[in-house]
Amino acid sequence: MKAWELFMSNPWAPLNYGFMRDALLIAALVSAVCAILSCYLVLKGWSLMGDAVSHAILPGIVVAYLIGLPLALGAFVAGLICAISTGFIKAHSRVKEDTVLGVVFTGLFALGLVMFSKVKTNLHLDHILFGSLLGISHEQIVQTAIFGGFTLIVILAMRRDLFLFCFDANHARSIGLNTTMLYYVLLSLLSLSIVVSLQAVGIILVISMLITPGCVAYLLTTRFERMLIIAAASAILSAIIGTYLSFFIDGATGACIVLCQTFLFILAVLFAPRRGILAQRFQGVAREAAAVIP
Amino acid sequence: MSELLIPFQYEYMLKAMFVSALIGGVCAFLSCFVTLKGWSLMGDALAHSIVPGVVIAYIVGAPFAVGAFAMGLLSAGTMGFLKSKVSLREDAVIGVVFTGFFALGLLLISLYPSSVNLRTIVFGNILGISDFDIAQVLIISLVSLTVLILKWRDLFLFAFDPLQARALGMNTHILHFTLLTLLAATAVAALQTVGAILVVAMLVTPGATAYLLTDRFSHMLMIASALGVVTSFVGAYASYFLDGSVGGSIVVLQTLVFLTALVFAPKHGMLASRRARRLTSHGVLA
Repeated sequence: MKAWELFMSNPWAPLNYGFMRDALLIAALVSAVCAILSCYLVLKGWSLMGDAVSHAILPGIVVAYLIGLPLALGAFVAGLICAISTGFIKAHSRVKEDTVLGVVFTGLFALGLVMFSKVKTNLHLDHILFGSLLGISHEQIVQTAIFGGFTLIVILAMRRDLFLFCFDANHARSIGLNTTMLYYVLLSLLSLSIVVSLQAVGIILVISMLITPGCVAYLLTTRFERMLIIAAASAILSAIIGTYLSFFIDGATGACIVLCQTFLFILAVLFAPRRGILAQRFQGVAREAAAVIP
Repeated sequence: MSELLIPFQYEYMLKAMFVSALIGGVCAFLSCFVTLKGWSLMGDALAHSIVPGVVIAYIVGAPFAVGAFAMGLLSAGTMGFLKSKVSLREDAVIGVVFTGFFALGLLLISLYPSSVNLRTIVFGNILGISDFDIAQVLIISLVSLTVLILKWRDLFLFAFDPLQARALGMNTHILHFTLLTLLAATAVAALQTVGAILVVAMLVTPGATAYLLTDRFSHMLMIASALGVVTSFVGAYASYFLDGSVGGSIVVLQTLVFLTALVFAPKHGMLASRRARRLTSHGVLA
């Protein structure tokens, strides 16, 4: 095992490289932003929405490149177009929402692929799809930090309203919250966090970062404030371990981060104090025992 | 004129067009059930989950279809298991499982870069497909098609109203499993044509288009299959002139057909329903 020898000879080797320090920092920031948002998406049942929006931003990137706008802006607009046109088509036809979403996002992604092969760019499709965390420039780090910080502040400032909207939209409306506005706020935050993650993990693996940490936290607690903290903590931990690990095994960084999150999810499924499989089995046994005693 | 016939002179283009048309037809047939059942996310999930199976099969030199199919069933089984054991929503469980599988596939590709090209996974590989892979795709497509044609009434009832199906004495567990297996199998075949990411389009869009055009399920099956065959054939053909990815061309074409149906469909299109509303408001129908 070459990776093991490498690790034993100098476990702190990754920290000696500037690009690894940058990667660790950005991975931690991006995954924390996504993790906080994932709590709301899991509550709202928007997994497919995250999947769809992240794919749909591809044509936006190509168009933005062509007309010389910031790529992030093009991606953001394309993400919103995907969600809004899905809502429009659903309102004007009898096709189910999940089907419409599937049609729209694949159509946009395919359009992006075709445009990409027609347009001469110096963009790398692999980098857009799978991220290039290790080749991130300082300019991009600053951009990611600003957008990421902004997204985080908006989520945290509106966390109560967003929670109520995700948990029970009817109740939110009945106490006078503007649910249409909250819908678009959540959608914009989703697009924004995907744009932020573009550099680090790419548009395909970001889906995982927008689902898994929320699920881990959901299994571990019943209080929403704690869920936010646990999700962020588990995502940051995965980001650091995954990036670190990818250095030694020489594997794709984004994939390593996601697999660490999946591993934490498996642990939570098994060992979560109340909602884990083992705990439930134990409770089942205890209940049977209690039922026998009287 | 002769310029338009150029693609037909190349053997690889002929292969690409006819294999795409076959896969497009089978996927479109299945897409009627997927849209009826609301399984878009499931289709997308299976298409991504089979990636590690493909990579492992290429690494060890096994037929790709076997590895992919096994991985598809494994991921579907994992989702089913978690759904019954954990109090999470179904869409979240599907999301966690398929992204984990997909990440595993990507990690394997990065560790064994010579075994399979990343672009094969993302774009499909219909232009450079080997005869052995074509044979696998043919077998999968024909078996799936046979099962679908023999069992479509049962599957329809199950997709439309599982309670009624159970009341009639059908084994809904077997039907559920059959539909899932068919979904995994066709995803494996479609992976070669359009790539992992666009498989879900082949499994959703023709069904959605046909749903706008008719009210009868047997007609829907026929319209969807015809659309799937034609759009896949023409998309592959057009990709020669566009010099673009085959999968991208096919899916863009399917989406355009869907949008046309959305606006102009005789009964369920936007123009038709606007006209109907205007007539009602003028009191003609009232």
